[in-house]
Amino acid sequence: MARYIAKRLLYILLVFILISFLMYLIYNAIPFDRARWLADEQKEAYKYDPEGLEQLYQEKRTELGLDKNIVERYLMWLGVMPLNGKYNGMLQGNFGVSYTNIQQPVVEVLKEPMKNTIFINVFATVLALGITIPLGILCAVKKGTKLDTGVQVGSIIGYSMPTFITAILFIFIFAISFGWFPVSGQETPGSTLTGAARFFDRLYYMALPLIVMTFCSLGGMTRYVRASMIEALSMDCIRTARAKGLKERTVIFSHAWRNALIPIVTLVIGWFLGIFSGSIMIENIFGLNGMGRMYIISLNNNDFDVVLTLQMFYVIIGLVGNLVIDLIYGLVDPRIRINK
Amino acid sequence: MPLLEVKNLHTYFKTKKGIVKAVNGVSYSVEPGKTIGIVGESGSGKSVSAMSILRLLDANGYIAEGEILFEGKDLTKLSINDMYKIRGNAISVIFQEPMTSLNPVFNIKRQLSEPFMIHQGMKKKEAAKYAVKMLEAVQIPNPEAVMKQYPHQLSGGMRQRVMIAMALACRPKILIADEPTTALDVTIQAQILNLMNDLQRENGTSIIFITHDLGVINEMADDVVVMYCGQVVEKASAKTIFTNCKRSHPYTEGLMYSIPKLDSNDKLEPIPGVVPHPLALPKGCKFAPRCKYCTKRCEEEEPELTMVDEGQLVRCFYPDKEERKSAEHQKEVIVHF
Repeated sequence: MARYIAKRLLYILLVFILISFLMYLIYNAIPFDRARWLADEQKEAYKYDPEGLEQLYQEKRTELGLDKNIVERYLMWLGVMPLNGKYNGMLQGNFGVSYTNIQQPVVEVLKEPMKNTIFINVFATVLALGITIPLGILCAVKKGTKLDTGVQVGSIIGYSMPTFITAILFIFIFAISFGWFPVSGQETPGSTLTGAARFFDRLYYMALPLIVMTFCSLGGMTRYVRASMIEALSMDCIRTARAKGLKERTVIFSHAWRNALIPIVTLVIGWFLGIFSGSIMIENIFGLNGMGRMYIISLNNNDFDVVLTLQMFYVIIGLVGNLVIDLIYGLVDPRIRINK
Repeated sequence: MPLLEVKNLHTYFKTKKGIVKAVNGVSYSVEPGKTIGIVGESGSGKSVSAMSILRLLDANGYIAEGEILFEGKDLTKLSINDMYKIRGNAISVIFQEPMTSLNPVFNIKRQLSEPFMIHQGMKKKEAAKYAVKMLEAVQIPNPEAVMKQYPHQLSGGMRQRVMIAMALACRPKILIADEPTTALDVTIQAQILNLMNDLQRENGTSIIFITHDLGVINEMADDVVVMYCGQVVEKASAKTIFTNCKRSHPYTEGLMYSIPKLDSNDKLEPIPGVVPHPLALPKGCKFAPRCKYCTKRCEEEEPELTMVDEGQLVRCFYPDKEERKSAEHQKEVIVHF
């Protein structure tokens, strides 16, 4: 087991190096000169001194390491090669600066959107799983009844409708027509609330995006749980369990559910890993300061340090997530052995 | 007095194309400590008739008519909660597929302890102790180690032993064995049959043995019920059927001819044709289209199950073997094949 994990971690490292290098290469291929951008900020002061400006530009280039070749720059960015005599890269915790946010460090810039995204995603995921899993099981047990058919039709509609249409529809119905929720934003503007009051105020603002997110994720998961539960219920061993004299509830929730869980686990863990990544659509429509919106804004503004940091973060989440899924597979399915 | 009596059982399945009458008026009884063998081809309704006893039918199946009397109670009328108390306790089942009949995600300990816990109210530890004893009883070597294993780690024969241990855990009065050896190879099959015989002798369990293998029936059964198209076509003691009896149903006769024999050079004689589709059953005798003694009467009228000899019932107009082979009968025969 330990050997397996060590091996997988080594793979993760290799894949990470490969992907990060490719990403770095791609973003650096975009024609945008950071040193020029920084030098141009002081253009006014050097109005009559173009040579001084050029000197400043060259200084900035050296300062940023732009005079080195791409491989060296990559290694500096990683933090395994010194830049101007100092190791100062990702390994040292320096993810660069955001140019659009008055030169703040990337970590500072990402703190707030990350908090918001996690806040909304935790609620949406728990809520969606809490609805879809029981609903899927119920549909599987009552397969072919009116209830099942109704849920099937509903879920295919929810599944097929794009997020932005659902979001706009919900805003129209619940925020404008009924006026139950605020149209957008994430807390009462200029509020001075603290503690629990602030939490509930935020929750009130988050409610509508939360409902939209949950609603959009219902369809797929319900159908998935239903399908996998139907398959589990048709297994021979379920008949054995019934023949033993087990109550139908035990048969469904213990014997069948444990078998149905195996394919569902991947999806559920995938959802939990998705907690960190925001929804570009929903965050833009509701004006939430989340990860998805941050990503788009940074891309539009050539704010590459932010984008690259986000990319690397998602790469690591994805790679580690896969390892976690594999390990959990071994836990829920005894037929899968993890020892190689 | 018989332990279990199945009386005029009708089990139907609702399908999109119509109602399939899988079991159509079957009666038999099980004596204490005896083994009754139910023989028939696939689709003859033999498994369904046995599963009806425990009401373990698929969702679209239902018992349309008939009684199943067990110790004076009609099982078809019991509430589901009372059925839970009978299943796996007074009547238990061994299924055909040992490969898939055990739950792949639970270890043997968990699965084998369950009957003790639900029917005898034991705690986990106590149940596990009894579970080990059951594994010993079914002659599994190193039972302590097997307890911790999962089904996929055991061989087919071992899994079937575990199934038997599970079925016999609460010392049932009746054991329904639904083709328990079909999926096993011949040596393992003999071991399992011996084991079942031994355990029956020790516990005095009655066995309902369902199979399509007449050889196995010969070894196991006291009484034999031959089924065809959801009906009983012949009911007799095993002795009668397996000795050269004078009278029998042509289907039983055909089944006997299709057993290979070591000491004869005769060609094997399979029964021609296939079992008719359950939604398109013939009008007269259900076996008529495949019968080599079939007459016009057989195609028009349906014979009743009638007593032809002491303890032998046959559903045929011409039960006498000599008579139907005679030249006189041959004149009337309609040749299908």
